[in-house]
Amino acid sequence: MADTADTLDEALLRPIAETGRGFYWAVALLSIPILWGALAYGVQFYEGLGVTGLHQPVSWGFYVTNFVFFIGISHAGTLISAILRLSKAEWRRPITRMAEVITCMVLFIGASQILVDLGRPDRLLNVILHGRYQSPLLWDATSISAYMTASLTYLYLPMIPDIAILRDRLGKRKLFYSVLALGWTGTERQQRILNRAIAIMAVLVIPIAVSVHSVVSFVFSMTLQPMWHSTIFGPYFVVGAIFSGIAALIVAMIIFRKAYGLQHYLKPIHFRYLGQLLLVMALLWFYFTFAEYLTGYYGAEPEEMKVFRAKFSGPFRHFFWGMVLCNFVIPLVCLVRLGRRTVGKVLAASLSVVVGMWLERFIIVVPTLSFPRLPFPEGIYWPTWVEWGETAGSFGLFALFYLLFTKFFPIISIWEIREGREVGIKEVEERLITYLPDEVEGKT
Amino acid sequence: MENPSSDFDRLVRTLQWVWLTVAILLVGGIIAWIVHLIRTSWTLGDVPSASIGISIVAIPIFIVLMSVVLYVFWGLRSDGRER
Repeated sequence: MADTADTLDEALLRPIAETGRGFYWAVALLSIPILWGALAYGVQFYEGLGVTGLHQPVSWGFYVTNFVFFIGISHAGTLISAILRLSKAEWRRPITRMAEVITCMVLFIGASQILVDLGRPDRLLNVILHGRYQSPLLWDATSISAYMTASLTYLYLPMIPDIAILRDRLGKRKLFYSVLALGWTGTERQQRILNRAIAIMAVLVIPIAVSVHSVVSFVFSMTLQPMWHSTIFGPYFVVGAIFSGIAALIVAMIIFRKAYGLQHYLKPIHFRYLGQLLLVMALLWFYFTFAEYLTGYYGAEPEEMKVFRAKFSGPFRHFFWGMVLCNFVIPLVCLVRLGRRTVGKVLAASLSVVVGMWLERFIIVVPTLSFPRLPFPEGIYWPTWVEWGETAGSFGLFALFYLLFTKFFPIISIWEIREGREVGIKEVEERLITYLPDEVEGKT
Repeated sequence: MENPSSDFDRLVRTLQWVWLTVAILLVGGIIAWIVHLIRTSWTLGDVPSASIGISIVAIPIFIVLMSVVLYVFWGLRSDGRER
């Protein structure tokens, strides 16, 4: 499989072949929040959930916010990779792998938040042994398991040809790459089998991803709690998930573009397209948010209005208006006119959306619990250092996993880039001719 | 591909089978868990329709995922062996 074409993409193999000082510095830097998180979890494990800010009635705080947020981020891989692959968008080629990796990494981080939130992780056995499918929490466990399995498969399959390149050219970790390459030699039959499998997975992973975030929303909307019991929560959560997923992908792309010198692969045009996608999603998110809050406000149901006022002008107003600023105002200002400095503008918008979407999850989870429908005492939640540590540790762990992945596998799909050069250009030309109404001069 | 009878190749083949077995056990375990939940709800008369409804969707998805993995595993390895 190794040939002169590989030397064209030497930049993609360099991070795996060589490890510079920057890598060790990055690992050292990331280990700080991870150690903080580990210490926080250790304290919580021995002392119990009393060391957190969780109490009655607010029994879900940062942990469930993180859970919803991370599961949302995981939609990056599905949307960018599967949809763009199915729609034959050629600009997807340098992006798909990064998106798929985000999906797999954050799914593990997101699912682990539930373990942390349990306080007693041994009680997870109760879910396995005595679970009841009437509970949306069990729907969640099932759909996330399916999504995790599908995402790992969908990440692994397109990596096989690249793993074979590493097996043949790298000279280290030969056993590891040989096992994972499954005897790939790049024959026509093997390519046919792999393309068919990737196509099946691309079709399958989209409804699974949509169902996952719908089911995450059902955990809230199946209750009769004020501002949770909403029929649009499913699509609202899915839109938010795709929105935050694109933003996270853009941030990852820009970091690795700079760190590994991938400017030839990740060009301003890619960021322009993703920026436009982000802008569309920002408008869509605003539309759903507006519809959700307007309906609640117009109904003026007393219990709903308590939560509504707490968000708009009460103790949660900073989070709420911060969310509107980060998710709508800043992206709109940055993305409406992408003239010069495209990458910088798209990065600013994406960072803003990542923060804004975390705030959005917080604004959904906590205020409703602070003002419950039942006659419980009301209470405002404020996290302790333990929750802050867990949150920082989760983000650090995600970044570390991602970084380690880039030391074992190419972060941009080599074979897809090569396919784009050799086959893609010709295919696009032929496809374009079929779209046009008249015969193109000189073509049949 | 190297000499197919070499120790290295035998080790690679063994590890590939281990890898596939782990994948099958993972998916099989999830399916067994879903079946266990159905059986529990059936035994307790605890709204088994919910369990059956969800499993009608969930179990085929896992089977399809496993089938795709098996198809690729079998297809790539058999082609490599023929060569």
